[in-house]
Amino acid sequence: MFLPFFQLLRDQGVPVSLRHVLEFYDALEKGLAPDLDRLFILLRLTCVKKLEHFDVFEQTFAAYFLDAGHGRVPRLSRDFWESKAFRRWLEEEVRRGAVAEKDLECLPLEDLLRRFWEVALKQVGKHQGGHTWIGTGGTSPFGHSGAEREGVRVYGDSAHRSALKVIEARRYVNYAATATLRAENIRQALAALKHLVPAGPATELDVDETVTRASRNGGEIELIFRRELRDRIQVAVLLDNGGSSMMPYVDLVKLVFAKMRDQFRDLDYYYFHNCIYGCVYSDPRRHTPCALHEFLRRDPETRLIIIGDANMAPAELFLSNGAIDYFSKVRVPGREWLLRLRSHFPRSVWLNPIPRSRWPRESATIGSIGQIFPMEDLRLSGIRQAVEWLNAGGAPRGNPSSGDR
Amino acid sequence: MRFLGTDRYYLNPELREIVNIAIAMEKPLLVTGEAGTGKTQLAFEIARALGLVLEEARCKSTFKGEELCYVYDTVLRLNDSRFGTRDSGRDVNNIWDYLRFGPIGRAFQAEGRCVLLLDEIDKTDSDTQDNLLDVLEDGSFVIREINFKLKAKEKPITIITSNAKRELSDPFLRRCYCHHIPFPDMEEMTRIVRLHYPQFPAPLLDAALPTFYRLRQIGFEKPPATGELLDWLGALQLEGASRPVDRGRILHLGTLLKRAQDLLKYRSRESSPA
Repeated sequence: MFLPFFQLLRDQGVPVSLRHVLEFYDALEKGLAPDLDRLFILLRLTCVKKLEHFDVFEQTFAAYFLDAGHGRVPRLSRDFWESKAFRRWLEEEVRRGAVAEKDLECLPLEDLLRRFWEVALKQVGKHQGGHTWIGTGGTSPFGHSGAEREGVRVYGDSAHRSALKVIEARRYVNYAATATLRAENIRQALAALKHLVPAGPATELDVDETVTRASRNGGEIELIFRRELRDRIQVAVLLDNGGSSMMPYVDLVKLVFAKMRDQFRDLDYYYFHNCIYGCVYSDPRRHTPCALHEFLRRDPETRLIIIGDANMAPAELFLSNGAIDYFSKVRVPGREWLLRLRSHFPRSVWLNPIPRSRWPRESATIGSIGQIFPMEDLRLSGIRQAVEWLNAGGAPRGNPSSGDR
Repeated sequence: MRFLGTDRYYLNPELREIVNIAIAMEKPLLVTGEAGTGKTQLAFEIARALGLVLEEARCKSTFKGEELCYVYDTVLRLNDSRFGTRDSGRDVNNIWDYLRFGPIGRAFQAEGRCVLLLDEIDKTDSDTQDNLLDVLEDGSFVIREINFKLKAKEKPITIITSNAKRELSDPFLRRCYCHHIPFPDMEEMTRIVRLHYPQFPAPLLDAALPTFYRLRQIGFEKPPATGELLDWLGALQLEGASRPVDRGRILHLGTLLKRAQDLLKYRSRESSPA
């Protein structure tokens, strides 16, 4: 009878996995949730791993266990009130005189529910070791999809469709390559981006070399130390933050960008508008320019990631007066600047928030820039591919016209 | 095994339940929250209250995870093989004499259950966190040099703290119980202060706390937290002050605000007419 709750949580955007569900039942059998308060804490510990989900969890909990939901969270379904387990309990309460029959109409639902759950939870403790009380398919009266009895289905789907299976089936969706990005899967994709180089003081003993030298020295030991391999990756991100064409993708870009900032210690970011000319800007409002020839002095090993829709008027890209070089006033078309960037940073990639399938329709400049930089979209597969480009370096793949640059 | 707080640590009932659930479920408990909310102290008090040994690891950014489990002292062994062990009692042929165990290694080998504290885990790389994850979850690690799997006799009660300087990886979070300790409100704070200064004059405390909370709301780079409050109150008590603010100036302001910028900011507010 708790499974629909987990489902509900997932529907509200809290990533609950099968593992958490099992863990919860484990705790339940240990008698760790003898009352509603502790059930609340246990469920929260099991399901909520981040502060931002806290609020949703509370609302969902209130809606599910106390039918006190407001707003977004759906309320308890009719099924629950009509379920045998609840009715049986209610009849029992009336028979015992704990609830007067005439009060039934006016008793606040929340109170009624609270009492029901308290009784239900007490039984969990008693049943420890015996027939599992809430098993999926057990023999207890409360089981969801139990063999022959009807169980309490508070928010469940029809019986015989194991909720566990449903949850498991959904679990793969997020990681599917075509899935749109979510916070939890970006990090995995970015984690592959590394640049291990020997760094720091020589503290790691090279055992093989030491032994070799020692035997050459006739047993006189000479200790050989090496520097450790450390991740020394430098990442620079150029963000297109101007123009209305980027507006629909702001949230997506923000998410990717935030994840990058968490992932890389040495991350610099700059802003540009539509296409890159003589300079980029170090502030989002594009007031503080950084000349591109300065930028081009950076270590060529720097991984360069450009995020933009590559959607501009062809003139901006090809004509020399598309924009004016900020410093030298020499007229250089945008395309030329992009080529310079690309040749200086062989490990570079262009990320385009527009889905790949729409590129040909969207703008001609996407194709042109795609010949300069490897271009990927902001889906999981795209980011993975981009990471591969950055690790490998080299020319964009399979572009028939890349020869005539 | 139930943890009920100690005479010098105020335990919020919710946190008490959480700690006990984590103990019963043998899951690591990740505590986050502002500095001075008693994250690290929690582990010490659990160990003290339950009479268990505490193994403590203060994380550094250079940690790879393995050194928390064990370190194999190759240099010492090479040295011994060349110059002999003399009367150190070590045996060059026995690798175990050259394995040094870190906090996790010691916690796993302990006879009874013990408390393992991984302090400020967010200082480490995400790779390190991922490495530690498996170790903590299985309660075992492999000593690579001899391919020996060291399994915990009893899984330690693991408390992990984080200042959330950097976001922790999702897999890591998934395998812990996570709890954010909110900053204590005035009522809780009164109890905390009472635990530290049982003799503190009540009128002075009643006057000091609102001043403290007002100061917190100004939005300093490093807002004063519990630790600073206790220092401040200690200073007031030592001096025998009768009130926390004298002629519009907070006494011993330096105990509350540590950063020069914050002090300047406060002064400029002070000098501007309210």
